[in-house]
Amino acid sequence: MTDNSGSQDAVIIERSFDAPVGLIWQMWTDPEHFAAWYGPDGASISIAKMDVRVGGTRLVCVQMQTPNGPMQMWFTGEYREVVPNERLVYTESMSDENGQVVTGLPEGHPTTTEVRVELEDVGGRTMMVMTHAGIPGDSPGAAGWAMALDKLAIHVDQMTADQN
Amino acid sequence: MTMTMTIDEDRLSETFAALANSTRRAILARLAEGAATVNELAEPFEVTLPAISKHIKVLERAGLVVRGQRAQYRPCAIDAGPLEEVSTWAEQYRAVWEARFDRMDDYLIQLQPERKTRRTR
Repeated sequence: MTDNSGSQDAVIIERSFDAPVGLIWQMWTDPEHFAAWYGPDGASISIAKMDVRVGGTRLVCVQMQTPNGPMQMWFTGEYREVVPNERLVYTESMSDENGQVVTGLPEGHPTTTEVRVELEDVGGRTMMVMTHAGIPGDSPGAAGWAMALDKLAIHVDQMTADQN
Repeated sequence: MTMTMTIDEDRLSETFAALANSTRRAILARLAEGAATVNELAEPFEVTLPAISKHIKVLERAGLVVRGQRAQYRPCAIDAGPLEEVSTWAEQYRAVWEARFDRMDDYLIQLQPERKTRRTR
């Protein structure tokens, strides 16, 4: 956890769907369809903004039931590439309900991540490749928090050593 | 670093929710310097003791803070475990996305009842 490799991590998932490419495109770009699958299970998704054009804004609310009542989490971002039925690229950051980005996430978790969706028609079915990657160095609040965490790690090590 | 593959989206959400508050981050930063009582933690803030206690409870539930069992002091200490889990965010998200795409698959089957083929990965 001391190196910075976490922020360069990426998840790449390849899936084939038994649906035409146009419908898969709608899964990502139509608020009603997007809300139907995005989840997690038991959560309700509401789309405050989904302006699917380059430079357009997205703002999504995930509401979950917790033992302490409903909890809302907001995510914002911007569309970077919009090529219908082929490629969609958008950024994602945790935010408040006004789309104000929350900084100071733990070290290793970038403030802004990028989701890239690539679609290809394969005989009426759709091959989809989704890449979710961190954007290194794009986290203004991260430095201070990273320092605090480094300190934290040292103290935790010391505390553990003291107990043994 | 060994990475646990038992990934829990709710747990991740809880950790983030706990961290998405400047007072709670300040409390953690203070605890990174050593264990402290609730009174000590409340000192630098212009908020009431019950408000601080509430923040600490949120951090406790997220597993970021543990409290000692010693009578009235019950000092708070930091637990970095969940933070380490969060730091492997990309691997955490793999399971999140797989679950999402499973739901997308189910939803597509609902939308296109005429297609009978089962999902393939």
